[in-house]
Amino acid sequence: MFKLNLKIALRNLWKNKVYAAINIVGLALGLTAFVLMILYINHEESYDKWSPELKNVYQIREKHDFFTPDNKEHWNEVSNSRIANLIRTKLPQAVAVTKVDNDWSFGSGYSVKTDNADPVMVNKIKDSDSSFFKVFDYQFVQGSADKALENKNTIVLKESLALKLFGTTKALGKTIKIIRWRDDKGNVLTVTGIISEPKTPQSVHFSAIMRTGTKDKDPDEPTNNNYCLMFIKLNKASDTLVLNQTLQKLYVDFRKNLLKGQEEDYEDMQKPKKLPGLKVIPLATVHSNPPYTLSWFEKLKPVMAISAFLLLVSIINFINLATAQSVQRAKEVGVKKVLGSYKSQLTTQFLVESGLQSLISLFLCIVLIEMVLPAFNQQFNVALSFWHNARLLVLIAQLVGLFVFVTLLAGLYPAWVLSNYNPVAVLKGNYENGLRGVVLRNVLVIFQFVISVTFIISIGVMEMQSRFMSSKDLGFERGNLINIKTSYEDKFADRLKKIPGIQYVATTTQVLGNSFNVPEEIKYKGKPIKLNTVTVTMDALPALGVKVLQGRIFSREYKSDTVNTVVLNEAAANLFGKNLIGQTYQKTDWEGKNNVFQVVGIIKNYHNEGFDKAVLPTVYKVTRLGGTSNTNNLLVRFNTARPKEIIGKIEKEWRMLYPNFPIEYYSMDDAFSKSLEENRRFMNMIILFSLVSVSLSLLGLFALSTFVTKRKTKEIAVRKVLGASNIQIISLLNKSFLILVIVANLVSWPIAYIIIKQWLEGFAYRIDVPFMPFAAATLISVIIAILTVSIQARKAAVTDPVNALKYE
Amino acid sequence: MIQLTNIEKYYASKGVKNYVLRLVTTTINQGEFVSIMGPSGAGKSTLLNIIGMLEEPTYGNYYFMGEDVTSLNERKRIELYRNHIGFVFQAYHLIDEMTVYENIEAPLLYKKIGSAERASRIADLLDRFNIVAKKDLFPNQLSGGQQQLVGIARALAAQPSIILADEPTGNLQSAQAEEIMTLFKKLNEEEGITIIQVTHSERNAQYGNRILHIADGVVKEDLAVKA
Repeated sequence: MFKLNLKIALRNLWKNKVYAAINIVGLALGLTAFVLMILYINHEESYDKWSPELKNVYQIREKHDFFTPDNKEHWNEVSNSRIANLIRTKLPQAVAVTKVDNDWSFGSGYSVKTDNADPVMVNKIKDSDSSFFKVFDYQFVQGSADKALENKNTIVLKESLALKLFGTTKALGKTIKIIRWRDDKGNVLTVTGIISEPKTPQSVHFSAIMRTGTKDKDPDEPTNNNYCLMFIKLNKASDTLVLNQTLQKLYVDFRKNLLKGQEEDYEDMQKPKKLPGLKVIPLATVHSNPPYTLSWFEKLKPVMAISAFLLLVSIINFINLATAQSVQRAKEVGVKKVLGSYKSQLTTQFLVESGLQSLISLFLCIVLIEMVLPAFNQQFNVALSFWHNARLLVLIAQLVGLFVFVTLLAGLYPAWVLSNYNPVAVLKGNYENGLRGVVLRNVLVIFQFVISVTFIISIGVMEMQSRFMSSKDLGFERGNLINIKTSYEDKFADRLKKIPGIQYVATTTQVLGNSFNVPEEIKYKGKPIKLNTVTVTMDALPALGVKVLQGRIFSREYKSDTVNTVVLNEAAANLFGKNLIGQTYQKTDWEGKNNVFQVVGIIKNYHNEGFDKAVLPTVYKVTRLGGTSNTNNLLVRFNTARPKEIIGKIEKEWRMLYPNFPIEYYSMDDAFSKSLEENRRFMNMIILFSLVSVSLSLLGLFALSTFVTKRKTKEIAVRKVLGASNIQIISLLNKSFLILVIVANLVSWPIAYIIIKQWLEGFAYRIDVPFMPFAAATLISVIIAILTVSIQARKAAVTDPVNALKYE
Repeated sequence: MIQLTNIEKYYASKGVKNYVLRLVTTTINQGEFVSIMGPSGAGKSTLLNIIGMLEEPTYGNYYFMGEDVTSLNERKRIELYRNHIGFVFQAYHLIDEMTVYENIEAPLLYKKIGSAERASRIADLLDRFNIVAKKDLFPNQLSGGQQQLVGIARALAAQPSIILADEPTGNLQSAQAEEIMTLFKKLNEEEGITIIQVTHSERNAQYGNRILHIADGVVKEDLAVKA
């Protein structure tokens, strides 16, 4: 029986090649989007799961506002290095505590020299202490976890880096020199271990772990702090809640002790409602809980919803086409019923048929995934793989589950409809007249079109917002401006200034591509104001080409500019009030000293982060009064048409001064495109989804029009006999579908409006919700719907009415 | 074998009952060859469908081999289809996606008959109906008469005790019709299979041994055919 049914199924598929293809391809499209998402989720889920030992490893999070992008308090991954010692001495459960470098966004790595070879830049070499491999259970190919970092000036390489540097993994005992910045004398390190790359990704990503000794000790001054990542390993899995209560108490005591004898004591520190905090989170949850941004799961939620939707839509299409086609199978059902088939046997038969189709779809989907995966990986900056998946078995289990789910969802309704055919009606031959289920079908088509139209509208608005952003005035001149990743040094700057074609050489702590916020609070006329501080050199503001609104910017003519003058941006000026030029404000520094600053100018806001973030109220100063910082920016502005030539000269100067360290720079134009990149990426993804969605809804519409046309064959024939023209018949059939599409448009307008408004609100600088995309989407959807339906309608209109009327 | 008492069938529309069958009472015995005749719309097919349990009467009693059909559940009814009733249709209703062989095999599969027995029964039927050469063809590759032969072969495969035929020759030319009718007569006389057919043709009715004349849902005449 099963064999025979399978044979029938295959013969049927072959007979209805076109429909079968539409069905299978549609389902495969929906599945592809969904399986890609599963792959992505699996990848994200697999972070830090490479060893069972890791379940006792926790990351330390401290609540503070240093280095946070918005200057507000967060549970940061980087914590005060003193905490390591605190835990080591006060928390008996902790078997090991380790400190390790964080990924700082700026600087692409360290220069590494082996013997006489040229220096190469290597990313993600991290400094740690002796305990790193006691916390993280890496597999040593050479060396051992106990001994590797026993001594200072040692380094453990991952296999890939060892191969890159030495061409072999047998590198034990060799030495390398690491130069961390351009005039660093460098550390000579001995390779004491080679470890293999774990199967799954790690949130502490590194190419090598070194121990230079800096992580061994904490700063002597209590007001100086080192911030780094910290991980602890406990002797047994613990209740984090209890553990965190203990830690919190330890931490508060520690803070009180640390600040004892300081002018600003603990109680003062907490005044602006700052509550110190310390907690640990299990390593497994680190990747899903980034401190500032949304977790991958939150970010992915809309995408998950969309791909689930698309899968649903493709299943709906499948159901639609299957039931539309069921008419052809009705006779088979009727006959089988009178031959003595149980209804359940028929249901099974049709389920097997859907199963067969979804199986083919699944294979097709795997092929599709293999095809799009490289592009997908590039687009989303991941390295997903289907066959070389670390958890292939899990994936296969998921696919089997998906197959069963899809088959049941897609097959049950058609199977139910088919097996419920009344044999008398069917065998008498009048089963084609019913338009049963048309309401449901209409609703489904509307639903699909709502999704598609919403997509089309969204793309339109996103395109407009992108255009707005790429043409928006940044507040500074981004052309002919490069940023060398290095700190300002007169020796180098003076040499550059001598090169003709270079107009300005300057530095600032904050520029597009490297925004580093230093928060401070000042008092103006007794009123506290929170500001972001940027330290610049004399030439920085002219080099950027900012626009002066009031007063002046820094200049060498004014001696006071190196003493206590500041320039505010518009955002900051708005917080202060009117008539600012010449006014002064106070700021108390770390030592409790009161400094007075004078405002000399106000400049137009300029952007140093993406358009999703508002320009912070910022104060610019040249003076070192009130603290300073340096963040590796060296701005060079050209006033020439041949920047390449000049860059060549800059590189030459660099090599002469810093032979051990390769130069790194980027143009401001690149920094700008990079700031738009994430948005571009998101848009590409939406476009991709829209394509799938629109083609699916067209398939759906095609299916429905086929279904209706088939059922109206007789009506059409009668009308033709009565004298209707082909055009009249085509428009008759189109009319009912147009209503659906228009209803779908009406439904999707408010939905799209809400979604788009929300999306736009994520940008501090945005366009108003425009009307054009709405109108365009409606027009597009109507036109493509008419085209799709007309294919079927024309076919029906030109057939000879005799054929339709001959029966019965 | 079949006992119908006061069978009524009507459709209520807008409060008016449209009768298809009225107070039909008759008994059909094992081994009879009954032809149901009457003008279009008289209720012939409905009567046959009720006998074949494809439709339910609105009122009345129906006993099939001593069992009350109105109280049968679906499973029981399907068991009857499998073991006792063979259907032959005007439009043949072969399954288009199955070959001749598979069409004949289908009822045997439902009856769960072993493969050796199946093969021998089908071979026997193919042989008897002279369609051995056609066994791997699909229905649309056959003429109408040949399709109807396959249809009858399929009905006989499960060795039913009764065959219900709704205008079995309605779509056939007269020569083919005659062949089918002769076959029915032979099956009835030699194997004792009960046959009930609906027909328009007086000639076809003469092959049987009893004629029920129906008009406007009422049995007008119940005649025996003189041999």
